[in-house]
This record gives sequence, C-alpha cells and structure tokens, in this order.
Amino acid sequence: MAALPRRIIKETQRLMQEPVPGISAVPSETNARYFHVIVTGPEDSPFEGGLFKLELFLPEDYPMSAPKVRFITKIYHPNIDRLGRICLDILKDKWSPALQIRTVLLSIQALLSAPNPDDPLANDVAELWKVNEIEAIRNAKEWTRRYAMDN
Amino acid sequence: MEQFESLLTCCVCLDRYRNPKLLPCQHSFCMEPCMDGLVDYVRRQVKCPECRAEHRIPYQGVQGFPTNVTLQRFLELHAQIAGELPDPTAGQVMERCNVCSEKAYCALCAHCDKKVCEDCKAAHMEVLRREISRINNQIRRGVNRLQDILSIVERNTTNLQTNCAAVAGEVDEIHKRLAKALKDRTDFLRNEVDRYLATELRNLTNLKDNLELELSNIQSNCDLADKYMNDDVEWEDTELVDTKEIFLKTVEFLRNFDYEAGDYNRRMRFIMTHDPNQLVLHVASYGELNISHPNVYSGGLQQSQGLTRSKSDHRLASQFRQQEEAKGYTENDEPILGGRKFGERRPPPQEKHTRDYSAAADDYSGYESEHRPSRRFRSRFVRSHQQDNDSDTEQNTRAVKAEQQQKEKEKVADTEDATRGPLSGIFRLSDCPRVMQRILDVDSGKKKEKKEPAPPPKPVQPAPQTRRPPPSAQRQQSEDDEISRLKRQNKGAASSQEPDRTPQRATDEERNSITRKPPTPAREASSDGESDESVGSLQRTQQRKNTTPVQKPTATARRPSASETSSAHRPAARAPSTESSASTESSGSAVKHTGAILTIAELKAKYSKDGLPPKSGTTLFSAGNERTAPVTTNGTAGGAQRVQSRFVGSQRPTPVSAPAEPAHDDSDTSSEEETDSSEESDEEPASQRKPESQAMARSDIGPLLARSTNARNDTHESKTKESPASTRYRSRQASQPEEEPPSRYGASSSYSSRYGSKPKEEELTSSIDDDSKYPTARSRYLALKERRNRLARSKSSHTGFGVGDDDDPDEPVSPTTASPSAYLAARYGSGTGGSELSRSRSSHALKSRESSPERTVTGEKDGAALSSWARYLKSKYGSRGKDRDPGGTSSSTSRRLSLGLPLRSANELASSDDDSKNAAGSPISPTAATAAVAGFAAAGSSPRSQYLQKRRLQFSVGSRGSEPGCFTWPRGIAVGPDNTMVVADSSNHRVQVFDSNGIFMKEFGQYGSGEGEFDCLAGVAVNRIGQYIIADRYNHRIQVFDPQGRFLRAFGTQGTGDGKFNYPWGITTDALGFIYVCDKENHRVQVFQSDGTFVGKFGSFGSKLGQLEHPHYIAVSSTNRVLVSDSNNHRVQVFDVNGRVLSSFGEEGSEDGQFKFPRGVAVDDQGYIVVADSGNNRIQIFHPDGTFLRAFGSWGSGDGEFKGLEGIAVMSGGNIIVCDRENHRVQVF
Repeated sequence: MAALPRRIIKETQRLMQEPVPGISAVPSETNARYFHVIVTGPEDSPFEGGLFKLELFLPEDYPMSAPKVRFITKIYHPNIDRLGRICLDILKDKWSPALQIRTVLLSIQALLSAPNPDDPLANDVAELWKVNEIEAIRNAKEWTRRYAMDN
Repeated sequence: MEQFESLLTCCVCLDRYRNPKLLPCQHSFCMEPCMDGLVDYVRRQVKCPECRAEHRIPYQGVQGFPTNVTLQRFLELHAQIAGELPDPTAGQVMERCNVCSEKAYCALCAHCDKKVCEDCKAAHMEVLRREISRINNQIRRGVNRLQDILSIVERNTTNLQTNCAAVAGEVDEIHKRLAKALKDRTDFLRNEVDRYLATELRNLTNLKDNLELELSNIQSNCDLADKYMNDDVEWEDTELVDTKEIFLKTVEFLRNFDYEAGDYNRRMRFIMTHDPNQLVLHVASYGELNISHPNVYSGGLQQSQGLTRSKSDHRLASQFRQQEEAKGYTENDEPILGGRKFGERRPPPQEKHTRDYSAAADDYSGYESEHRPSRRFRSRFVRSHQQDNDSDTEQNTRAVKAEQQQKEKEKVADTEDATRGPLSGIFRLSDCPRVMQRILDVDSGKKKEKKEPAPPPKPVQPAPQTRRPPPSAQRQQSEDDEISRLKRQNKGAASSQEPDRTPQRATDEERNSITRKPPTPAREASSDGESDESVGSLQRTQQRKNTTPVQKPTATARRPSASETSSAHRPAARAPSTESSASTESSGSAVKHTGAILTIAELKAKYSKDGLPPKSGTTLFSAGNERTAPVTTNGTAGGAQRVQSRFVGSQRPTPVSAPAEPAHDDSDTSSEEETDSSEESDEEPASQRKPESQAMARSDIGPLLARSTNARNDTHESKTKESPASTRYRSRQASQPEEEPPSRYGASSSYSSRYGSKPKEEELTSSIDDDSKYPTARSRYLALKERRNRLARSKSSHTGFGVGDDDDPDEPVSPTTASPSAYLAARYGSGTGGSELSRSRSSHALKSRESSPERTVTGEKDGAALSSWARYLKSKYGSRGKDRDPGGTSSSTSRRLSLGLPLRSANELASSDDDSKNAAGSPISPTAATAAVAGFAAAGSSPRSQYLQKRRLQFSVGSRGSEPGCFTWPRGIAVGPDNTMVVADSSNHRVQVFDSNGIFMKEFGQYGSGEGEFDCLAGVAVNRIGQYIIADRYNHRIQVFDPQGRFLRAFGTQGTGDGKFNYPWGITTDALGFIYVCDKENHRVQVFQSDGTFVGKFGSFGSKLGQLEHPHYIAVSSTNRVLVSDSNNHRVQVFDVNGRVLSSFGEEGSEDGQFKFPRGVAVDDQGYIVVADSGNNRIQIFHPDGTFLRAFGSWGSGDGEFKGLEGIAVMSGGNIIVCDRENHRVQVF
C-alpha cells in the first residue's frame, strides 16, 4: 500500500492536537486510514448524553472522494439506517476536497441535531418523525439511552 | 499569524500553496496535485471545492487557469519573514512515481534506476539496507573462509620457508660434504706424495753415500796397488792372493753393479679417476632445485571440479569487469592473458609481482622469471574471463544491475585516497569521506535519519577481509552471488566496505605505484600523522562504535593505553590506532567472525591463538623484525614504543606466533632501546645473530643437528638464537625492510597490511607457481581446493581422489628422490612434514649422511602401506590436518593416515601432545614448550574477556513440540561448517538444523530403526566435510548422513565388544575425521575412522584417573586433546588421542569449578572449555589448562536459566549454544 498522503497525516495530527469538542477520532493502529470515531449527541437533541460510535474510512483517492462513515452505535434517526449508514449530502455528491474529517464529523453531529425526515434513509423512522415527532423523539431518546449510554 | 498561515494553506492538500491557480470563483488551489485531482475529465470541468462552482477547464488544462500572483507574493513574503527555506520542490514538476504510480515529486532512485517518489525511495533504501545487512551477515559467515585461507597462507609461508630452509640446509650439507671429501682427498694425496718423496729421497741418499764410499775405497785400493804392488815392497804370497781376490771382487763388482737409472725416471704421476673437466662440471652442477609443478592449474578438468564453487564468483567478477570495460572504464590495453586480479580496477603492471617477489627474495628472481610468467594466480581469472564471455553475461539480476548502476552513477563511496584491498579492490568504508561524514553526523547526533544506505555495512567491516575473493564461495550459489555482487559493488566504488584493505593497500600501492600513485601520497600524508586527526579520530570513533556493547568494556579498557600514547605522540600513535582498526577488521575475518567487530583483545587472542597451534615459522621471524621496525621508524620515545610495539605486534595480521611472542617482545624492546630507531641497525643484530648461530650449528652440533635446527629454527629462533635459516631467507627478510623504508612507514597506518598482504602475495605466488616447486605447498593447495570442494558440497570424495590420481604424472622428482617414500611424502606430506620427509629422503639417498633412521623407515613403510583408501583419506583429510597444525605433526598425521591408523604408531615418534610435538625430540624442546605455554597464556587474554562477559542470553530457539523448530528433549548439539546449529531433537527422533540466527533450516530423521531413522538419538557431530554423525542411542549405533541429510551409513550394534555400543551418547569428530563416541553404558570412549572402522577405545568403568562412569559428551580440541564429561564422576577428563589421560578437573559440588553430573562439553578453537554442568544448571567455562574461568546460569525456565543441560557447543563466533533439555529449547549465549 502506498504511503499515507501528507494530507491525511496532517489531518490526523490536527485531530489529535486540536480535537473538536464533542468529537473524537482516533486512527486505527493497523490502518491509518481507518478511524474510530465517537460523537457526543448534541445538546438539545434527543441524542443528548449519548456517545455514538462511528467508523470512518478514508478511501484511496481521498480527498478527491468522500470518506466512508457509518454509525456503529444504533441510533434512531431518519437519516441513518439500521446498518448505520448515513444519508448526508456531503458524503455523497456534495463532497468537496476542501472538506475534512473534522468537518464531516461536525456535519454528522449537526445532522443529529437537525434530522431531515424529508430526505430519509430509514423510512419508518422518517415516517414517524413526520407523523408523530414527539413519539419519534421519545424513541430516539429511548434508543440513545439504551444503546449510546450504557457503556 | 495563524490565520495568515491558514490563508497560505491550500484547503485540498492542507499544505502550503504550491503554484496556486485561481479559479474564476476566486478560490485558489495548488495546481498539482490538488487542482489536477479536481478535474472531471468527462465534463472537462473543475468543481471548486470551496464553493462548488463549476468551471470549464481552459484549453491547455488546469495550467491555463491564471496563477494567483497575489497569493504567490504572500507566500514569498511569508517565506521571507519566517526565514523558511525555499520549497525544495519548487522548480520541480510532479511525475508519476514509477513504482507506486502516485503523482509526486520524484527523484531518481539509485536502487532501481527509476524516478520514484520519496516514499518508494525510502522503501528502496530500506531494502538496500536490509540487503546490505543480509549480505553483511553472509560476509560475516563467509569471512572465516578468508580466515582459513589466511591461515593457509600463513602456513604456506611457513612451509615455503621451512622447505627452503631445508633445501638450503641440504645444499649446505652437500657443500660441506663435498668440500670435506675434496679436502680429505687432497690432503691424503699430498701426504702420499710427501711420504713417497721422503722415502725415495732417503733411499737415494743412502745409495749415494754407499756409492761414494765404494768409490773412495776402490780409488784408494787402486792407488795403493799402483803405488805399492810392485817389487819395492815385499808382499807375502797370501797377502797378494788376498789382494788379488779383492781386486777381482772389485772388478766383479764394477762389472756387475748396475744401477739401472740414468735419470731418475721412477716418476710419480697424478692421475684423475675421472676426467677433471667432467668432474668440475659435475661439481659445478652438483645439484639443482627441482620445483614440482602441480598441474592443478593447467588441468582443466581438475580445476573445474575444484573451483566449481567459486567459479560463479569469477564469472560474475569477470562479467562485471567486462561490463566495465565495455563502458570504457578501464584501459583497453589489457593483454589477452591479463584478466585482472579479482576486483582490481586496473591490471597492475605486470612487473609488480616480479618486483615484489624478487625484491623480497632475490634468490628467486632467477628462476622465478622462468617459471612464473604466465602462470600467475590470475590465470584462473583469466580463464573465467575468457570462457565465460559468452555464457552468463546477461545473468545479472536486477539487483546486480541496480547496484552497478548505483555505483556507476554516483560512486558516492568511492574515494581516491582510500586504500584498496589488493585482492578484492574493496576498500574500507571508513576511508570514504562520505561515509566518514555520515558517521560523524551520526556521532554528533544530528542527522540520524538521513543516513544513506552506505553506512549500514559499517558493522560489517571487520568481516570483509576479502583477501581472496573467490573463495568466498562458501554457501549457496545465491549467496555467492550476493557476496560477489557486494564485492563488486565495493570494488566498483559505490560502497566502501573494506576496512582491512587499507593497510595492504599501502603496500600494494607502493608496488603499483604507477597505477595508484595519486592515492598513495595522500594516504601516506594523512597517515603520516600530518595531523590528519579527523581521519584518525573518526576511524577510532567508528571503531568504537563498531564494537558491540558486549565487547565495549574491553575495547574501552584497552583503548586508553592507546590513546594515551597517542596523546603523547600524535603522529606516531596514530599508526597503532589506525592499525588497530585495520587489524581489527582483518582479524575480523581471521577471528572466525564474532558477530561484531572485534575488540583488540579479541584480536590479540585471535592472533596469539593463531600462532599457537601452528608454530608459525619464519613468519614469526619476520613478524618480529617488522614489529620492531615500525616502532623505530616511527621514532617514538622508548616508553611509548614499548606499548606500541606490543600493541601493534600483538594484533598484526600476520600470525605472530604466540609461543615466541614474549621472547619477541623482550628482544624487540631491548634491541630497540639499544639501537635507537634505525632500521638497519635493528635488522643487523638479527642477521648477525644468525650467521653466528648458523656457524655454530654447523661446526659444533654436527650436520644432523644443524639440519634439524635449521628446520626448527623458525620456531625457536628468537629464543634459541640458533637461527640458521638459509641465507636466502635472511637476505630476503633483510631486504624487505630495506626495500621500501621510506614509503612503508610513511603509510604508517598500513604497515601491518604490508605484512598482512605480503604473506598473501607469497601465498599467491607460491600457491600457483612456487607451489609447484614445493611439494608441500602444493598439497596445501590441494587442501585448499579440497575445502572448496567440500564447501561446494559436491561429492568431494571423488574430487579428492581424482585429484590425487590426476596428480600422479607431475610428481615432483626431486634431485635426491629415490625412494617411493620420498615420492609419497612429497605428494602427501605437508608443511614441515613434507620438508622433513624430503630431508629424510635426501639423507636416504646420500647414504653417508647420518639421518634419523626411523624416519626413513617410516617413510618407506608409508609408501608400502599406502592403500588407496589411505591415500584418499589423506588427500581428503591430510590437508586438513595440516590446517590445524602445520608442523611436524602434519607429517606424522599424514603418515598415520597413510597407515590407516590414527596417531598410534606415529605417536611413538613424537609426543602425543601436539602442542609440544614440534618441540619433542628436538634438542631445544624445553624452550619450545615454555614458548607454547607462554603462547597459551597470551592467547588467554581475549577470549577470556569475551567469555567473562558471557551471561546474557542472545536468543533461544524452540519450545516443546514436534513441529519444525520445536524440540522434545533436545540433547546433542553441534556446530556445522556454516556456523549452523545442529540439534539432536532426541524424543522427536530427528535432527534439526538451524542457521546461526536460529532460523530453522532443515530437519531429517524419524522414529525407527531403519536407515536414517532414529530412536532417541543423543549426540550429534558434524565433520569437516559437513557430514552429520549421529549417535542413535537406543539403536546402539552411529549413523552418518551427508550434508543434505541423506543417510550414508550406519555402524555398530548393541554389545560390549569393539565397535559395539551400549547407549552411545555424545559424539564428536576431530579434524582428521575420526569419530569419537561416548559409549555411555560401556563406560568408555570408542574411536572410529570416518567410514566406521573401529580404531581404538579407552576408558573403563571406575572413578580412577582414566576411568569413566557414564561418560556423556566428548569434544576434541584443535590441539587434539579429547575432553570427556565423566558424568557420574563429576569431572571432565582430558585425554590425548591415544587415550592417555592428560588431566582431569572438577569434582562433585556446586562451587566454582565443581560439577554435578556434567554433560555437554565443548572446546573452542583456543582451547577454552565449556561445560554444561547439568546438575547445577549452569555453564562453566574453563581455561585451556582446566582452571576455572567463570560460570553462569541457574535453575529455571527464564532466559539464561536451565532445567537439565545436555549438549553444548561453541560457534565460530564464540557464541555458546546449549541444549536446555527440560525447557525443550536451545539457548545461545
């Protein structure tokens, strides 16, 4: 495998030196392109208090293509499916090389505070979110408590 | 500032902008690789990462976007403010890396000759480093070849000298005899003449007197008659009658008296029995020197057999050379036959050899020139050079090419003024300025990372004492190639391998002054201490660095003295220090490679050790001279001198024979002090001394003694002052110093090399040309060749035999040779043995000579008894015996061998202890003995320190199991020829072989009682041709396997008779291939020939001296002492090869020097004894004399702890390997 591009090294260093509040991203010991990420649930969101594990992988042509990010911790969110896949534009067509790991994770954190049921990935959740937001939020809180807090 | 910084950072690469391009949306990005990567080639547009605006790409591509000049200015400004260095890649254009095909700033990689990115380059450098270290390891392992060759060379030197001394002695003897005969005869004849003269004279005078008397009587009678016989006087009738009668008588007398001589013609005449002219002619040519010419070099077949191994080297070498030539690298005036010496860059002027040789020994120059011309040792290379043109030119691997290219390209490590090894052309890395620089950097701790591939080999340095490149062919082909490649690389220039070369180089340079003139002066100047301190200190530091941590203490301990000296006398002291580094390396090779560079102590040990067993002959003498010389020339003051001389002397590459060392030291220093620094004056005493003693020997001791002293003088010279060595040698040695006093020590750092190289030169000449003159040298060569064979793992037996046979035709016919014994001796005798025999042969021929009768007799017996087997064995092992102790011993060994017996009969002639064998029977044996002892003592110093440091586990191999690399109760262990570890994995019923790093190599054997099957094998041994000899314990037999692990033969069954076993345990083999088996339950040791023929046994049940109770393991030292771990008697007994007890040490207990059921026993090549004290779970090391040195280890399963020790062995580097039975592992210390 080719050596790590400077950009990845730089980003990793910066993540270590100036971590983003509420986000921790640690590269795997065996693969510098694979990061173990923990994102705290944003305040004033149903996910508050939860610690969400994610995995982030920088593909070969990063930064020209977007990192692959996935929730490991189960989360009740209209844009995140049961497998943890995230529906986020910047991870897809809106990716830009000017974005970085930190910005991606910040975006994901923001996504937690602002679910977008109009562009759903988990249809049932999005449905409930649209139909009965209170219950959906309750569910989300419940899931958060159940899956993201017990460790 | 932070923000300013971030403004200058490209958001794509997060790096400082490089060539920022401005998009129409006013965002800027580096042109490469950022903007480049953004291009959507399909739509020919680029999407701004910042604002996602899409822009059409100009016709010329992203380059067409305008450069953001403002930003660029800011960048420049920033660089100014921050004082940054300009971007090193500024002017460059990114390219695709040829290896990983990433876009990056590429640079040419010397390794693969491609443009590659930094990362790949780094990887390649890593590869190079690893390769270097791997090759380094190989070199390390291969270096003992050089050591072997070195010792052969040394021995050859000795033999040459001995031989010549013997011949000269003979000539002198003949001369004396002829002179005496002539004189005696002359005297006799003269006496005869005188006597005859006297007698005749007396007779004549008598006659004369009588005649005169008669005459007067008659006269008076006549007168009287005339006067008175007349009538005047009255005479009576009777008176008249009487008178008449008287007168009648007188008449009668006168008539009859006839002296039948007018003149005196009874002449004496001198008649020659032979035509005087003829006689003069005969005398004038009463002898000639016949130099036997072994056809080895001309016999194509032989050669190809003998050299198969190394040919590849030559090929590569020549091929390389060709390439070089193709490039116009060398002069094209290379003569057809002028394939250069291996590794040499230019063909040295032809005259070089002649010059050096003739300079050294004028006497030779005469016929040398006749015999020598084309048959130089290079002829071999020439061969390959010519033959291999076609075949393997393209065989070079990528790596080879790469390396070559590297070399051609940069020749980074090449230095003009580095002295190069005369044989391989390798020079010392440490001489290379770049390397020095690197090391300096490293030392000052600045640029640790940026080392280039070159430095890594540094640690190797001690090793590559490439004195004879070809032989390095010791291992597998590939390795050879590696080595040769490396060599080539070195030689070529790129690297700088080559430490030891330096010294020799200097000498060489002097010879080759034409070709190498430029470097020499530089070198000389610097080493002359014209304050080239940086170099000196560098070397020193380097050396220090090189020493492994373990050895460090010693090094530092010794160093002070040197540096003291150096502080006092900078220039002078420099010599020793460089010297030491030089000899460190050279000895590195000589000391069969310790893993790391050797400390001086080691060196010393090495040399003293070296010197010890082979009573190195004249070399010693010259060494002595030399040793003094440098000191004096250096002109140092007395005190320093002393230190120096000893220092220097003790680590000279030439074999300073230990025995004589003390004497030398003394005499040296004393003579120094007296003579105060002039070489000649130093030289003089020696030569003066010699004639004297020679005369003495001649007149007083009588011819025989004189001869014998002659023969031995080399050894004892310094002590006994009976140094008759032939005038030839004297003159030769004398001429050496004179030959080049100015330059020699000018290149002071290399003076040792001179003698390092000298013997080599000699060897070369001798092994090729002169060899042929001397039967012994020739057999030496056979040995060498044989070894090669052996190493090649070819069925050397055939070759060995074949060689022997092939040689028959060109038997040396010595002038005096008459008897077959002489013939055989000439062929198979070796070393002194050869000359001794030749001596005896001549004495045999000249019957009047009083020669030792037995010798002749034995010789004849030899001849008679020489079966083909013996011959084979001899040709196979005889040489090896030589290797070990090139003294009279070898002759006797070979004799023994010829009788098919081990040492028995022959030993009656000489003492069985080879140490003193030479001395035994000689009139001066006591001195010799003491010298030997002194040698031992001297030898003691270094391995001692090495052993004293032993305790730390280096690594351990294996765990319980039956997979490869695992053990179940490992028992016997042995070291194979390549420093492999051979382990008897007892309860897995197999033998496992590991390389010196503990990497599993192979295994063979399985449970059973058939061929090649084992039942709880115990002992394992590897003989010198790599065959595995296994004590198959529960099958009560010995099995022999070839080096590939294929079954060869088995012998022995259960029983108590000769050749039968009861649980054979430890096993070992000596240099002659005899197999010694600890027949444990029979409480004895049995000895076999390598084919399994029973030879002898010793030991019986009991606890008295010489008796054994459960002997477990056995070892044979290089001095033919047999060490047996007498386990249940808790002691180690030392026997000679005949089974006579020499000594015993240890008793039950756990104090130092005491044992509890000792098992494994091993002896290193210097006689140090290592005992696996099983019951105490420790390893004890003893001096060669059996006194305790140190112990380490305890019960347990941690590192350095043992649970039940079994076999033990010492690797050639001094590592101790031991089977830790209950822990199922092998530990290496």
